[in-house]
Amino acid sequence: MLAKTRSYALNGIDGYEVNIEVDLNAGLPAYDTVGLADTSVKESKERVRSAIKNSLYTYPVRKITINLAPADTKKEGSHFDLAIALGILIANEEIDSKDYKDYIILGELSLDGSINHIKGVMPLIISAIQNGHKKFIIPSKNAKEASFISGIEVYAFGKLYEVADFLSGKKEYEPLKTSEFVNIQNSNKYNVDFSEVKGQFVAKRALEIAVAGGHNVLMIGPPGAGKTMMAKCVPTIMPDMTFEEAIEVTKIHSVAGILDSNVGIVVNRPFRTPHHTATIPALMGGGPNAKPGEISLAHNGVLFLDEMPEYQRRTLETLRQPLEDGVAVVSRAKHTLEYPARFMLVASMNPCPCGNLGSKTQECKCTPSEIHRYISKLSGPLLDRIDLQIEVDAVSYEEFRSTIPNEDSKTIKERVEKARAVQRERYKGTSTKTNDEMTNSQVKEYCKLDEDGERLLKNAFARLNLTMRATSRVLKVARTIADLEGSENIKTNHIGEAIQYRSLDRKYWD
Amino acid sequence: MMSKDYTNDEKALIILSTLQSYNARKKLFESVKKPCELYSDFSKADEIICKCEKHNIGIITILDEDYPQKLKNIYDPPFVLYYKGNKSLMTRKNILAVVGTRRVSSYGKNILENFVPKFVEAGFVIVSGLARGVDSIGHRLCLDNRGETIAVVANGLDICYPPENVDLETKIVQRGLVISEYPVGEKSLQYHFPERNRIISALSDGVFIPEAGEKSGSLITADYAIEQGRELFVVPGNIFSSQSVGCNKKIKELQATIVLNPQDVIEAMGLYTNLSSKRNLQLNIEQQTIMQILEDGCKHFYDLLEKTGMSIGQLPAVLTELEVLGLIRKIQGNFYEIVPSL
Repeated sequence: MLAKTRSYALNGIDGYEVNIEVDLNAGLPAYDTVGLADTSVKESKERVRSAIKNSLYTYPVRKITINLAPADTKKEGSHFDLAIALGILIANEEIDSKDYKDYIILGELSLDGSINHIKGVMPLIISAIQNGHKKFIIPSKNAKEASFISGIEVYAFGKLYEVADFLSGKKEYEPLKTSEFVNIQNSNKYNVDFSEVKGQFVAKRALEIAVAGGHNVLMIGPPGAGKTMMAKCVPTIMPDMTFEEAIEVTKIHSVAGILDSNVGIVVNRPFRTPHHTATIPALMGGGPNAKPGEISLAHNGVLFLDEMPEYQRRTLETLRQPLEDGVAVVSRAKHTLEYPARFMLVASMNPCPCGNLGSKTQECKCTPSEIHRYISKLSGPLLDRIDLQIEVDAVSYEEFRSTIPNEDSKTIKERVEKARAVQRERYKGTSTKTNDEMTNSQVKEYCKLDEDGERLLKNAFARLNLTMRATSRVLKVARTIADLEGSENIKTNHIGEAIQYRSLDRKYWD
Repeated sequence: MMSKDYTNDEKALIILSTLQSYNARKKLFESVKKPCELYSDFSKADEIICKCEKHNIGIITILDEDYPQKLKNIYDPPFVLYYKGNKSLMTRKNILAVVGTRRVSSYGKNILENFVPKFVEAGFVIVSGLARGVDSIGHRLCLDNRGETIAVVANGLDICYPPENVDLETKIVQRGLVISEYPVGEKSLQYHFPERNRIISALSDGVFIPEAGEKSGSLITADYAIEQGRELFVVPGNIFSSQSVGCNKKIKELQATIVLNPQDVIEAMGLYTNLSSKRNLQLNIEQQTIMQILEDGCKHFYDLLEKTGMSIGQLPAVLTELEVLGLIRKIQGNFYEIVPSL
């Protein structure tokens, strides 16, 4: 007797259909899995057998052959267990089901017959929908995640026998109710807020500009200046994620297995801080069982590289292409994976190896060549992608006891959202979303300067030793400052301010 | 590079120049009537000449007519000089050495930025050692102001030390002169630097030290200058600054002329320059306010924010304008200061 169940497998964050064919034959009892299954799939043999027995069904004493079609792609993961077990039960005529072929079956089995949580339910279901599938059977532990997708029938089960009863029509089960994204979106909480950051007005202002225009930021300052804390606050002033954005992020997090199954969807913008010992696969994605890397996990959020020059230079250089294209490409001999990676880069570094360069209270002990070596870890092309470079300094409380009150994230966020709205309107119908993504022709069109502004920029380059590649950077940032102010044209003071955020172009770093 | 036939005397001196110890060289040199008696085989010299030609390096020996007289007059002149660039600079009048600490502070930079352009204007050729710090800044400022400059280095001319000055050296070769007493391939060994310093002071008519630490190599140059009868000019510094200890010590020991402005040096050397008047600029109210606040010394961005009452969006713009006008500058750590001028 032959049974054919359907399941799905992942390739990157996209899925493809896998047909699981179970055939029971006369012959010596055996169990063979064919179709390029890796170890985790082959091991399902023992889980499936115990689960079937412990669910009080008869395990067939025959030659069992299982084929995973298409047979020429490598399949990994434990989520085929349920589809295999059901296939065996149907082939053995333990279950009598007519419509089992309508369902995409996903789930890992436990020895006692219960169904375990699996990775990547959201991306699997979304890919299946795109291929015209409507009905799903998933583990109940993944129910939350799947409930955000509307227009489909999803059944969630906790036990193998429940699925069997459902498929054979012995018992009725209700499909999952769709959860409303808006409800949980309003309850989102970050546990940091900009009002907790004392002083640091320059840095805060620069971060506000950066978020408003989608620019990348580099903070330079001594240890203990509050760089990390401010970086953590960046997501709190970013506009709320739209449902589409949240789904994109959830797909990636689901594949990586870091999704909170109690919430089921990523509501807060991700904030990722890979350690500086991170390897290239850890950052870019890949590894033996391909997984999204840190930059993909930071998709639609913030990637924070603390102590940037401490990273291996090779690792940093790999960031260049994703910063440009917004995707991380993992190439293998047999296939290529693509993970989305459109993130805001927030980096921090010390001004010199000892951290005291430029400090008024402590003396820097570094030699010029040490400083040069330290700074030159960051290559020109990489710095080219970082629009704002700001100096953050250790603020002593007495010295800079400022009367200006600290704004909270909500107030800043409102301004950011206004500036973003201006940009959306401006770039309607193009692929550009923020000022940072402006193409050269768009810079020409939208960053026109009056005579005074032109003169200021020209003199600034001569006088302040700014490098030429800083031009378009300064213009883009000036555009964002103008947007924040609600000004249609870029004025001289916008250019003036933008120039102040180009610290590393200054001569004193040489 | 012109191909020149070298006499056996010259070749002998070239071989002599490869000897490590100056005393040994001097002894050998004085032991014979003519240098060519020293050696019978000149293939080693031919080899060096060949390498020099490959690297576009010229050779002058103490026997040459264009060997600078000033060098001949010192106790231990180099027998051979290797050079790249315009060799006539060596025999110029009014050569001023600008040397000092490698770890230059902002005070030292300010001095150089105010003094060197004036020196160039007055017609000095600036000689220095291409080292980090004062030396490189001196060379650069000189070139930036279209002046002529000589770099005396402590290694063979096929090498550049310190490596980050490669571009500077190339510029000096194009518009000035780089010399060394060490043959091609010789690395900059530790004891070369003091030896090199005697050439710097000997070539110059005066030695100007803007900033020197207690153990700065420029103090060796200063001692040579005194020994060779050159004028020594130092700028007094902060008594608490480790970078000024050397200068202040020279003043205390009454060995140097105290210099407070570029005119002090220029007049002492018998040159004349007209003081270019300060620029008269029309500043708006905001700019004036900031200038007034900064007159008390350098201020942090937040101090300015508090004292001017400007918004965080306004202030940076005004600061940029002032920076562009060259009146103030940003220094590390978000501090701003008035660009000092004399």
